Amino acid sequence: MFRKLSFALLTITLFMAACGPSATATPAPATTQPPATEAPAATLPPTAAPIVLTDGLGRTVTLVSPAQRVVSLAASNTEILYAVGAGAQVVGRDEASSYPEAASALPTVGGWSGFSNEAIVALKPDLVLAGDINPPELVASLEQLGLTVYLLPNPTTLEEMYANLETVGTLTGRQAEAAALVESLKARVAAVDAKIATVTERPSVFYEFDATDPAKPYTYGPGTFGDLLIQRAGGTNIGAQLQGQWVQISLEQLVVANPELILLGDSAYGETPEKVATRTGWEALSAVKDGRVYPFNDDLVSRPGPRLVDGLEMLAKLLHPELFK
Amino acid sequence: MLKVEGLSVSYGQRRVLHNVSLEVNSGEVTALIGPNGAGKSTLVRAVSGVIPLDSGKISSDDLSRHYDLRSLPPMQRARHLAVVPQAVSLPPAFTVWETVLMGRTPYLNFLGQTSARDEQIVHLALQKVDALDLSERRVGELSGGEGQRVLLARALAQSTPILLLDEPTSNLDLHYQVSFMELVRGLARNDKLAVLIALHDLNLAARYADRVALLVAGEIKATGTPRQVLTPELISDAYHLTVQVVPHPFMDTPLVLPGK
Amino acid sequence: MRRIPYLWTLLLLALAILLSIAIGSVFISPADLWRILTGWLSATSLSESLQTFAFIITSIRLPRTVLVLLTGAALGGSGAAYQGLFRNPLADPYLIGVASGAGLGAAVAMSIQWPYTFWGLLAVPLAGFLAAMLAILLVYFLARLGKTVPTTNLILAGVAFSAFATSLTSFLMLRSTGELRRAFAFLLGGFTQTGWNPVLTILPFLAIGLGFLVLSGHALNLLQFGDDQAQQLGLPVTRAKTLILVAASLATAAAVSFSGVIGFIGLIVPHVMRLWFGADYRRLLPLSIIGGAGALLLADVLARVVMAPQELPVGIVTALAGAPFFLWVLRRAKNQGYW
Repeated sequence: MFRKLSFALLTITLFMAACGPSATATPAPATTQPPATEAPAATLPPTAAPIVLTDGLGRTVTLVSPAQRVVSLAASNTEILYAVGAGAQVVGRDEASSYPEAASALPTVGGWSGFSNEAIVALKPDLVLAGDINPPELVASLEQLGLTVYLLPNPTTLEEMYANLETVGTLTGRQAEAAALVESLKARVAAVDAKIATVTERPSVFYEFDATDPAKPYTYGPGTFGDLLIQRAGGTNIGAQLQGQWVQISLEQLVVANPELILLGDSAYGETPEKVATRTGWEALSAVKDGRVYPFNDDLVSRPGPRLVDGLEMLAKLLHPELFK
Repeated sequence: MLKVEGLSVSYGQRRVLHNVSLEVNSGEVTALIGPNGAGKSTLVRAVSGVIPLDSGKISSDDLSRHYDLRSLPPMQRARHLAVVPQAVSLPPAFTVWETVLMGRTPYLNFLGQTSARDEQIVHLALQKVDALDLSERRVGELSGGEGQRVLLARALAQSTPILLLDEPTSNLDLHYQVSFMELVRGLARNDKLAVLIALHDLNLAARYADRVALLVAGEIKATGTPRQVLTPELISDAYHLTVQVVPHPFMDTPLVLPGK
Repeated sequence: MRRIPYLWTLLLLALAILLSIAIGSVFISPADLWRILTGWLSATSLSESLQTFAFIITSIRLPRTVLVLLTGAALGGSGAAYQGLFRNPLADPYLIGVASGAGLGAAVAMSIQWPYTFWGLLAVPLAGFLAAMLAILLVYFLARLGKTVPTTNLILAGVAFSAFATSLTSFLMLRSTGELRRAFAFLLGGFTQTGWNPVLTILPFLAIGLGFLVLSGHALNLLQFGDDQAQQLGLPVTRAKTLILVAASLATAAAVSFSGVIGFIGLIVPHVMRLWFGADYRRLLPLSIIGGAGALLLADVLARVVMAPQELPVGIVTALAGAPFFLWVLRRAKNQGYW
């Protein structure tokens, strides 16, 4: 009864460029701007060779010269930008970008409920750094408005995270700082690995990041950084036996698994060890009885940036305090 | 005139009208009587094309032209017969004028654009039912009697030779019952309309109908003049109630009284 | 005001369009707006800063204004048509499953990673549209009884389908928690795609659907008397109802596919128009179309500025603003028998 045929016919006759990614209908007012105020000079000598990379959506992104006005659409991107020394080159951020503190001073362009294309355009960025957390429609819209967008995909391993750091370094002309950062991160990880190699037991951990329903709290399943880092820090993640990445575990299963430690990734939302002790049924858990319930900064395992290493170190200290005096 | 032959209608598996045949002559009022559930409303709906027939013929003979009404699409059929339903739950927001104007639909295009002639016909129809002064009133504000007259006007605006009325007096008080029936009979006579009116009040039928058809359990049990059909035997049998039929004290029609 | 309904509603629409172009999350002062306008008219080039503003207006706000306008028009028009078709003051364009179908289609599409190509980017709206139309088809055939489609059956089948579809959608949303926010945003309604493509994509469907509805005023008037009387007056009832249903659903499905599920416009705008200008559908339909466009534009302006630079989903604004406004209009209505 409903003419889908006419729809197919009509979309074909639309003028939108079928080649997609690099279509720019109208030029943005200025894609290169003089650098903002007294930013320290980019460490890359001015070169004629443009920067050409392929982003997380498979798009080829070209920058004539390192980006000096970056708008970050994901908190993890903001952290990475500052970590590789490109903080002064960032001109806009999303609402969730709370770290480092310097970022809070930047104007916001949107957040969980959507982004304002106008606000992004008004900042005249020469690069918009998006993440997997942003829908492809957003990337397409910004692209259509003539902006250069690079989508940094979520890493699944620490190596991929290092690669992202280097990519951002290339995009912003901070290759040297990025390389140095990667080296120092690798060293820290190696140090943790060395210590953990000596442990004989791997305590079981329950990591909670959402307990809106205390009978079915959320935890990290296999494939998440939470799971990966707990393993690497010499622990056993209770959530690893579940299906899916962000999964609920029933209180019953939790009681059976009886973890030795409980980490409260939702402490930013007000959960405390004291409150956990009052939850019905939770008093049966050894971790609660032994007082081994600890608050934890979830950003350190959920934001795919350099602070993952901070997270690893913190986990290792909690799991094996005797090794880290 | 309206001719119904061998009409049979079913609701699902249940047959509700069996082989109904009757004729309604122009210029006459034919009353359709019968107990509840006999199928009077069903018959009216079937003839007007709202429910499908199992079998039967419906035709109209008008000035030596014969029309097979059953085969006509709704728009065409509406030029031959108009229906006056009970005036209940009418859309209250339309004015009387707008409502009667809808009667012109069979002659209008899809957009419903009306001409001066249509307005004239509506004016005339309202005059005939003596409701012209109600023209700008909203239908929701009318009394039962007024509403019923408006629906009659609407049917008249349809300018059809045949008029079907489905128990129009059921919700009217005595005054309006009588005035309405007088109106209908007058129209039938003067405009040479073939009028079939389903009635539950036997005495109204006796007084105002030229012919009567008795429908019981989906079958026509008798047709004829009021005197012929309104007999104690037929009525008692049909209504499962002993009745007496006496001559009306001051009119030359039978009077049906329940009781022994 | 009853005398010149078109004038007033068109004025309202014009005002809404103006506001939508002038207001956004980036503040452009009236002086700057004036300078941009005069710059265009005299074909002189604008200064740097004004160029950015001009760009924002032409490339972001203008296409969005048109998209919102069309969406509001579709919702207002089909809302009026549904209310007339079902003779029910609570009817809205989502009554028989368009919203729940579109939501389900979109949720399914969002749980798949599409390639970044023309068709890949069109996947979610396309899935929403197809699912919406399939939903109507399903509901229609569930409700069909022989050769007729009784309105009660349609409503019942629609409600049943919607319950099923929304629970399925919720389940999908819970399963793919990564896309939860995206699907949720769709269900709350909002305009995520920019540029002229959404406009051009939905325009043919709206033109056909709304065009037909505007012509169906008389048929809808007749249907107010019930199927029986409408047929007896000469309307081919089943055909008319089917066509009106198709036209209204086509327009709604096209609008919803890009804008998500925006509620209240389709319900409230026809009522307001009816209260102000009467229940004649020949007039009510075009007025609801214009009114719907204006109302949604105003809601969208609010959605853009209330929490700038974040955008509130439009569906929240329409609900929050629409309900109290409607109550106010209702109380002021002098016509008790307005329906």
